[in-house]
Amino acid sequence: MSTSTISAGPAVTAGPAPSRKRSRGWRGPLLIWAFVAPALIVYATFVLLPVALAAVYSFFNWNGLSALERFIGFDNYARALSDPVFISAIGHNLAIVALSLVIQGPLAVLVALLLNRPLRGRTLIRTLIFVPYVLSEVVAGLAFRLLLPPDGPFDGFLTALGWAGDKPNWLADPAIAFWTLFFVLTWKYLGFAIILMLAGLQGVPEELGEAAAIDGASWWQIQRHITLPLLGPTIRVWAFLSIIGSLQLFDMVWILTGGGPINSTNTMATYMVEYGNQRSQLGYGSAVAVILFVISLAIALLYQRFVLRRDLAGAITRNG
Amino acid sequence: MTALNLSSRRRIDPGIPLTYLVALAVVAVTVTPVIYVILGGFRTTAQINRDPGGFPDPWVFDKYAAVFQNPNFWTQAGNSSIVALTTTAGVVVLGMLAAFVIARYEFRGRTLLFSLFTAGLLFPLTVAVLPLFTMLRSFGLLGNLLAVIAPQVAFDLAVTIIILVPFLRAIPAELEDAAMIDGAGRFAFFWRIVLPLSGPGLVTVGVLSFVKSWNAYLLPLLLLGNPATATLPVGVQYFSTAYSQDTAGVLAFTSVAMIPALLFFTLAQRRIVGGLTGAVKG
Amino acid sequence: MKNKARTMRVAAFGAISALTFAALTGCAAPATDDGEVTLTWWHNGTGEPLLGFWEDVAAEFEEANPGVNVEVTAYQNEELQRTLIPNQLRTGSGLDLYQQWGAGELAAQVEAGYVMDISDQVTQEVDALGGVVAPWQYEGATYGLPFNFGIEGFWYNKDLFAQAGITETPTTLDELYDAIDALKAANITPIAVGAGDGWPAAHYWYNFALKSCSPEVLQAAQTTYDFDDPCFLEAGDMLEEFLASSPFQEGYLATSAQQGAGSSAGMLATGNAAMELMGHWNPGTMGGILKEETGAAEATAPEFLGWFNFPAIDGAAGDPTAALGGGDGFSCSAWAPPECVDLLKYISSVEVQTRFGESGAGVPVTPGSEAGISDVNLQQVLAGLQSASYVQLWLDTAYGPVVGGAMNEGIVSLFGGQGTPADIVTKMKDAAATL
Repeated sequence: MSTSTISAGPAVTAGPAPSRKRSRGWRGPLLIWAFVAPALIVYATFVLLPVALAAVYSFFNWNGLSALERFIGFDNYARALSDPVFISAIGHNLAIVALSLVIQGPLAVLVALLLNRPLRGRTLIRTLIFVPYVLSEVVAGLAFRLLLPPDGPFDGFLTALGWAGDKPNWLADPAIAFWTLFFVLTWKYLGFAIILMLAGLQGVPEELGEAAAIDGASWWQIQRHITLPLLGPTIRVWAFLSIIGSLQLFDMVWILTGGGPINSTNTMATYMVEYGNQRSQLGYGSAVAVILFVISLAIALLYQRFVLRRDLAGAITRNG
Repeated sequence: MTALNLSSRRRIDPGIPLTYLVALAVVAVTVTPVIYVILGGFRTTAQINRDPGGFPDPWVFDKYAAVFQNPNFWTQAGNSSIVALTTTAGVVVLGMLAAFVIARYEFRGRTLLFSLFTAGLLFPLTVAVLPLFTMLRSFGLLGNLLAVIAPQVAFDLAVTIIILVPFLRAIPAELEDAAMIDGAGRFAFFWRIVLPLSGPGLVTVGVLSFVKSWNAYLLPLLLLGNPATATLPVGVQYFSTAYSQDTAGVLAFTSVAMIPALLFFTLAQRRIVGGLTGAVKG
Repeated sequence: MKNKARTMRVAAFGAISALTFAALTGCAAPATDDGEVTLTWWHNGTGEPLLGFWEDVAAEFEEANPGVNVEVTAYQNEELQRTLIPNQLRTGSGLDLYQQWGAGELAAQVEAGYVMDISDQVTQEVDALGGVVAPWQYEGATYGLPFNFGIEGFWYNKDLFAQAGITETPTTLDELYDAIDALKAANITPIAVGAGDGWPAAHYWYNFALKSCSPEVLQAAQTTYDFDDPCFLEAGDMLEEFLASSPFQEGYLATSAQQGAGSSAGMLATGNAAMELMGHWNPGTMGGILKEETGAAEATAPEFLGWFNFPAIDGAAGDPTAALGGGDGFSCSAWAPPECVDLLKYISSVEVQTRFGESGAGVPVTPGSEAGISDVNLQQVLAGLQSASYVQLWLDTAYGPVVGGAMNEGIVSLFGGQGTPADIVTKMKDAAATL
């Protein structure tokens, strides 16, 4: 995931402003806009404008240098959507989204639940678990590229564990490379999920659990009926971040496999860079980028509408 | 809030030993690749080829020395620092200013503005990269660090504002009223009261922004061109391919590239984790 | 509270100074500085002997031209060709002398206005070089000079061949199949291929296409992108048959061509495979790998190395003495200082080219420098080049990055057991349509 974001709870509205006083004369709005202007200008120039430009370029056949004059309408989109390599790239992104939710999520919650007690060395454990997240995807990808070749350190480790004989070619086998990629991604981001869940668990009052225990509930029952529901908002926030990150995945794939072997680990982003940048077809690359954007937007909006609706309702009434 | 403490109830407790086991397993899986890379830099390539999984024997310091003597490394590390620090500063300053007024004051276009920034969360950087390239080339900024800083600040603003707005909204109106009564203007209120109170939020935002910028790859890759003057992640990748035959050297370079992030994290880890806790709770 | 406010102020001040600092230091260094000229030179010779060779050339040029500073850097081949050079050229600055593979790639760069037209300054060199300079020319003008040109063939391990009982090098495809069987029977990996990098695998298809298609069809395809001739399908069919005989090493899809002992070149160099289809730079590459592996500074290509042409194919329509080849050259960017052309001419001089031949890194092109070629195998390559009736440039270079990229993808898919020979041609045609 190339974004490392936390949204402060699911509140996606600005909420009511505490100060309802109207501005004093003309200086008020001027001051307000003066505050906002720098951020707005930078944002508009380097976020909104490029995204709009991407949409414009996508309708042209353009190598990035000559004049922008070969208008081809929706041809780039048609080409992308009929290219089996791109469709499979979309599939890979969606698969990573699903796998992350289904595997990393529960795993993180489980580990967090287990670790959520006074342990000796707890701070150290938390620090160490978080280390992969701090490393860049490039460094992590490089490390694993050096660990995973045939008869490399990882294979040596497996042999030491008792697995004699040939091991699968983790990075070279088109059938396996994708799973290797997912494994490395999990290594990188599980710690983040665990820490996030641990943080969320801080908000679960212990009295509830104790009361239930007095009533004879087992540990598992307590977790299932009390802790997990209260952990809900945290899980939903993490899931949102995970989804967005999975859709935009680039660095790790580029370094670890370059999208191969035979396009088996391509993502929308690596496809875009390969065709748009390496092969100098910026119009086509822009079309791919716009498709990536539309897919992200659609999923995010659906998610906010259906999953975060409950949390939203609570947020609006909260005054912070 | 303390954690759910059930150690007093043995019959419900799944077992402290199990917990330690799980913790140990997770930590082992997490840390081993990192350790391998670091130790690998202390060996020679021939050693590694003979015995990929072994310990350094003998310990060789040449590879690490070579990294520190490599002028490219220092240029790249320096560039990474400049870019990360400037990005963080820019994000914090601009984000704070904007979030402050969005959070606390009614004005026309407020909701639209907030939605505009929120939408930025959904814009993948990849979408903007190619147009940014052509745009920055026409500004003549390609190869200049600003080419990377400005877009990073812009893209981080969305996250920053989303985190800061609830923080700032939480500051009671009474404080502002009191300040007004004392004759302070809005700016003074901002400067003397709001800023200090937002410390934790700003630290969270700053740290996230710094880490993200330090680790950024795609943007510097496409916008900075020449690896000798690019940032560290780009430099590490090129080193690894240009010297691919020198496995030990690559491992040394990679682990040195890890150090700043690890150091930074160790120093700030309480803040980071604490900040995340606050953000999630709040 | 006061502390925090002060911290904020300091941070703001820091930000402003950092921004200023960044703006000042981040600016691209000007090429001229008080009369000093700096040339930025990028090439792909990351291993010895090329790495040291070009550094020596740069140092000599600096000595002979006071006031000129040459910054020479080596980058990995694929990264250089696909990412570094295109990215840097697009910025319009910062690169002066750079590696040039010619033909379709050159054409794209010229159209975009990146390359310096050096026709007037190198008339003598062009006359001397003759036909071999053609890939570095476009529409009558010269945009670069080659320093290396040779044809492709099979590099093989004489010892392993003897071990398998193979007494003569294959001259026909059937004999090659026999050799493969003999090697497999002796438990030797017949052929190493660096399919992970794409193009080494693609070269098999190129060679089959070369043997199946007449030179006219091939030449036409280069300019009109017309791939309708059935010979292109035949090439794929032959490749499919070849793949079915399982001649390659395990995991060939991830093996790189030149990076480390696990690459295809490395496998051949360390005796782990008997053959590799590769260009004439292979001895140099293998020497570099061995040097890193063993730590021996003077490691060269192994003694057991031999070379033979890609075998003829009975009944194929192509010219049996045609050869697939290519070379390397350098071009100056359109914004490079005039000293760049001087450096290029120095590289192309008989003296430097002779030393290039001596280094064993490739086959020099400047007439008169052949005497320097000491490597027996390279002499064979040169002989093959000179006797070839028609030399076809690597197809991906010839067709340019868009069609070439699509073509290589299609071929690698075939290697991976996906896709069909027809798919390769379809991909090429589709890519050509997007140009």
